[in-house]
Amino acid sequence: MKRDEAIVGVVIFLFGLITTVLSLKMAIGTFRIAGTGMFPLILGILLVILSGTFVLKISLQGKERQVKKEASIESSESPRALILFLGTMALVTLFFNKLGYPLSALLLMLALLRILGVKRWTLTLPLSFMTAVVCYFLFVHWLKIPLPKGWIGI
Amino acid sequence: MFESLQHLITGFGIAGTIQNLLYCLIGCIVGTLVGVLPGLGPIAGIALLIPATFGLNPTSAIIMLAGIYYGAMYGGSTTSILLNVPGETASVITCIDGYQMAQKGRAGPALAIVAIGSFVAGTIGIFGLVFLAPPLAEAALAFGPPEYFSLMVFAFIVLSNVTGTSLIKSLMMAIVGLIIGTIGLDPVTGDARFTYGSVSLLGGIEFVAVAIGLFGIGEVLVNINQPSEMLDRGVLVPRLRELFPSLQDLKKSTGAILRGTGIGFGVGLVPGPAPVIATYASYMTERRISKHPEEFGKGAIEGVAGPESANNSACQSAFIPLFVLGIPFAPPTAILLGALLIHGVSPGPLMIGQHPELFWGVIASMYIGNFLLLLLNLPFVPLFANILRIPKRILMPLVILFCITGMFTVNNSVFDIWMMLVFGAMGFLMRKWAYEGAPLLLALVLGPKLEVAFRQSLMISHGDFGIFTNRPVSMVFLLATVIFLLIPVFRILVKSLKKGGR
Repeated sequence: MKRDEAIVGVVIFLFGLITTVLSLKMAIGTFRIAGTGMFPLILGILLVILSGTFVLKISLQGKERQVKKEASIESSESPRALILFLGTMALVTLFFNKLGYPLSALLLMLALLRILGVKRWTLTLPLSFMTAVVCYFLFVHWLKIPLPKGWIGI
Repeated sequence: MFESLQHLITGFGIAGTIQNLLYCLIGCIVGTLVGVLPGLGPIAGIALLIPATFGLNPTSAIIMLAGIYYGAMYGGSTTSILLNVPGETASVITCIDGYQMAQKGRAGPALAIVAIGSFVAGTIGIFGLVFLAPPLAEAALAFGPPEYFSLMVFAFIVLSNVTGTSLIKSLMMAIVGLIIGTIGLDPVTGDARFTYGSVSLLGGIEFVAVAIGLFGIGEVLVNINQPSEMLDRGVLVPRLRELFPSLQDLKKSTGAILRGTGIGFGVGLVPGPAPVIATYASYMTERRISKHPEEFGKGAIEGVAGPESANNSACQSAFIPLFVLGIPFAPPTAILLGALLIHGVSPGPLMIGQHPELFWGVIASMYIGNFLLLLLNLPFVPLFANILRIPKRILMPLVILFCITGMFTVNNSVFDIWMMLVFGAMGFLMRKWAYEGAPLLLALVLGPKLEVAFRQSLMISHGDFGIFTNRPVSMVFLLATVIFLLIPVFRILVKSLKKGGR
C-alpha cells in the first residue's frame, strides 16, 4: 500500500508539473494585471510542492503503513465484472444518440443486469423493458426533457 | 419590526389563497422529485419549469419556482443517504454520515432528521429573512474581492480539515479541483484555457458530471469490484419502529440543527455557493465540538442534522441578496432572478416598495412550503427507506441509468456523459487509495470565483498582496485559516508531548 500511495503521489506530482509547463505557454502577465496562465501556474506550482512533500513523506516512513480499513476497498476475485460494466456504459454512451433514449435504456439495463449475474431472461427482460418504459414516460413525456430519439424515432 | 410583522401577515393572506397554495404545493412536490433524481438539481428543475410559469402572475410564478428550489434542497439529501449519490451540490456532505447510517440500517432516522432539521432551519431562516434583511444586506455589501478571496481560502482549509483522511491529501485534491476548474474560458479575459480546440470544453467541465461521477458512479464501481457474494449481502433494512429517530437521536440533533441554522443563515448572505459552504462549515463545527469526533464518517446523526439544517437556512437567507440587492449569489437564485426579470420584476432596493405583494407573498409562501415539505417528507420516509430493499444487483443498473439520464438532461450533451464516466473511474481509484472527493468538488465550484476575486483584488491594489491583510474582514478570515491550518500541527505536538511525558 505504501508503494501504491507513493505511485499515486508521483502521478499527482506529474499532473502538477504538466499544469505548470502548459501554463507557462500562456500569457502570465504581472500580479497587477494577471494573464490567463497566472492562476493555473500558481496552482500547478502549489500542487508540485504538496505532492512532492507527500511523496517524500511516504518514502521516509520506515514501516509499512496501513490505510484505514474503512477507506480501503475489498478487492474483487477478478476485475472482469468491473471492466465489462465500464465497457457497457462506454458503448451505450457512444451510440446514445443513434440508438435513442428508450432503446439505450433497455439495452443498458439488460446488459448491466446480466453482467451483475442476474441471468434469468424471465426477470431481466421484463425488468429492463419496464424500466425503459417508465423512464421514457417520466423524462420524455412528463418532464418534457428532449432526450435523443435515435433511429426508432420515439 | 412591527411593520415587518404586519407585512408578513399580509403576505400570508396572499400566499394562503387556494391558487397560490396549489402552486406552492406543486413547486414543493416537483422540487422534492427533482432533488431525489440524481443529476437533476434545483437549477435544472427551475430552468425546466420556467416556461410553465409564463401564463401565471409573477407572485404565483415565483412562489412555485421558489418551492422547487427549497423542495430540491429537501429531496437532494434522500439519494445522498440511500445511494451515496448527491441529488444536488449541497447534499455532498450528507453522503459522508448519511450513507453510513443507511448502511447500518438507520436510513429512516437519517431521512426523518433531515426533514425535521430542514423544517426548523427553514422556519428560523424565514423569520431571519423578514427581520434582518435590510441591515444584513448592508453588511454583505461590504464584501469586496479581497474578503471574498479570503473567505474562499478559509472554506478550502475548513473543508480539508473536515474530510477524515489526511490534510495533505485533501489539499492536493482541492488543488486538482481548482486546476480542473480552470479548464474553459478565462473568467476575466475570455481566452480559452486547456481546451485544445474542443468546443465542449469551452464552457468548462460540468460540475454535475464530476459530482455524479465521483460519488454516484464511483460508489457503484466500488460495489461491483467487491466479491460476487458481497452483492447479495443487502444493507440492513430498518423495521418500522426504527424508521423514525429515537429520543436520543433527537437530543443529539437539537444542538446540531440550531447551530447549523445559525451558520447557514450567516453564510447564505455571503456571495458564493452558500448552501455548499454552509454544509461544510456546519459539519466541521459539529465534528470539532463533538465529544465523539471518531463517530463522524461512520454514521453520526449530528453529521446529517447540522449540514442539512445549514443548507436549508442558507437557502432562505440567499434570498436576501437576491431580493434586496438584485444580486444573485448562487446559481439557483441566479435562475430565479432570470425568472423575475421574465415576469417584469426587477429585484433591488425598490422591489419591496414596488412589488410588496410579491416580496411578502413569496416569503410567507416559503413558510407554508416548509410546512408542506415536512408533511410530504415525513410520511414518505418508509417509502424512501424501502429503496434499500431492492437487491444491489438490480439497484446498481438502475442508479447507472438514472445517472446517465440525469447527466444528459443538464446540457443535452453526450460529452458530459463521457466526463461523468471518466470522473466515475477517477472516483473509484480515489476511493481505492483513500482520497476524498469532496474537496475536489468544492474547489471545482469555487475555482472560477476564487480566481476572479484573486485577480480583481490584485488589480485594485496594483499587485500589492497587502490588500488581503490590510482589510479587517479579509484579515479575520485569513487568521482563521492559519488557525485551522495549525490545529492539526498543534494536535500532533500535544500527542507527542503526552507520549514523551509517559
